[in-house]
Amino acid sequence: MFSKEKIIVAYTIEKCKACEMERKRNFKQGDYLFAETSKCDSCEGVMQIEKIFGESIEK
Amino acid sequence: MVDFTNIDLDQLFGFSDDSNPLLMLVWILPIIIFIFYGQRIQLQVTSGEIKKAIKKLDAYRIEARTELIDHVKKNMNPSEDPTKKIDRFLDYFTIMPVDMDPAGIVGKVRHTVRAREDYSRNHVKSISPETDELELTKVITLLEIATSLHMIFKIVNHMYLTAKKQNNYPLILPLQMILPFIMEEAEAITKAIPSFRMGQPVGDGIGPMVVGKMMLDTKKEIISFQTVFAEKEFEERKLFLLKAEGPGSTVGRPGDAVEIIVAKNKPDIIIMVDAALKMEGEDSAITAQGFGAAIGGIGTERFQIEEIATKNNIPIFAIVIKQSIKDAITLMSKDISNQAENVRSQIYEMIRDNTKPGQSILLIGVGNTIGVPQ
Repeated sequence: MFSKEKIIVAYTIEKCKACEMERKRNFKQGDYLFAETSKCDSCEGVMQIEKIFGESIEK
Repeated sequence: MVDFTNIDLDQLFGFSDDSNPLLMLVWILPIIIFIFYGQRIQLQVTSGEIKKAIKKLDAYRIEARTELIDHVKKNMNPSEDPTKKIDRFLDYFTIMPVDMDPAGIVGKVRHTVRAREDYSRNHVKSISPETDELELTKVITLLEIATSLHMIFKIVNHMYLTAKKQNNYPLILPLQMILPFIMEEAEAITKAIPSFRMGQPVGDGIGPMVVGKMMLDTKKEIISFQTVFAEKEFEERKLFLLKAEGPGSTVGRPGDAVEIIVAKNKPDIIIMVDAALKMEGEDSAITAQGFGAAIGGIGTERFQIEEIATKNNIPIFAIVIKQSIKDAITLMSKDISNQAENVRSQIYEMIRDNTKPGQSILLIGVGNTIGVPQ
């Protein structure tokens, strides 16, 4: 009957430039697209920010 | 004692008798009241709704001002309290050129708007001259948000108070009709504040996001104010890539950039990628292709690009990613960001379909480039 309050959570998708493995995490201040962030857990390649977006979740 | 259990309603109101004066009064009195005071009653009812909306608008503008001052204090480390300077700027206005003789008005509008932009930049920089360019663009955008909400509140409040003062119902009607649209826009502008504070990409940034990725690993140069240019090869064709300089909050000056590029190397086609407002009933994040300069804003950039393209007989193709006003200025939605790859493949297909090897293409990613470098 009553609609639940929706909040938008920002996520960052990192993708390995070598093996293309993707990792989703919460957005951190200072993240911006195409920035190289860390090393890939599986192949030692470089992780790059592929997407930053918001998803709504019900509270 | 009166026996209330035994009242005959038919007898009291004379339902069975048409000449009962009490019944006549019950019917005639409201008609007389509505004839003489109808408009005032409607004014009172409408006023209640508008008052609630004005209260919301007031809350939005206070929130925007507070967020701006807070952001400036935290991120610019000003030597003195910036509140006074910011408050002074909130009331600044722009007088658009006279349009009685419209010849040459675009140049005048461009001059006025750019003078205001330059003034805003210098004004914000004077709060703390050491501030870096990225932070400066964020603060300028937050200032524009606060100024817009301040102006919306003032105009709506003025229209409401004027109608109330004159006791004039027809005067309040136009306001009542446009208020839902104004409220939708004001709410979207307010919700845009956190994204610009945090430097997150917004829905409008999908064009720069697509072109920005294509610019990675290329040699880039600043071609016009806050606008980046790069060259790339694609299937024996030359690609000229253009977008606003990210990751700051700016749309750049693509009009000036197109003028320079076309003067140097005339491209065979221009492709513009931009966010576009969706129609009611349309899904968000759907893409569409068309012709003509896909660029919003006040119209001066579009005019400049159209004029150059017409003079040089260059066709303009457009790819748009549809979204609501709220989607366009708040944190990019998952659906919109998921379209980036699809748009990129549409661009390549468009290039193959409309050019031959050896030709050149100018590709422009139009939109605010906050959080989107190159």
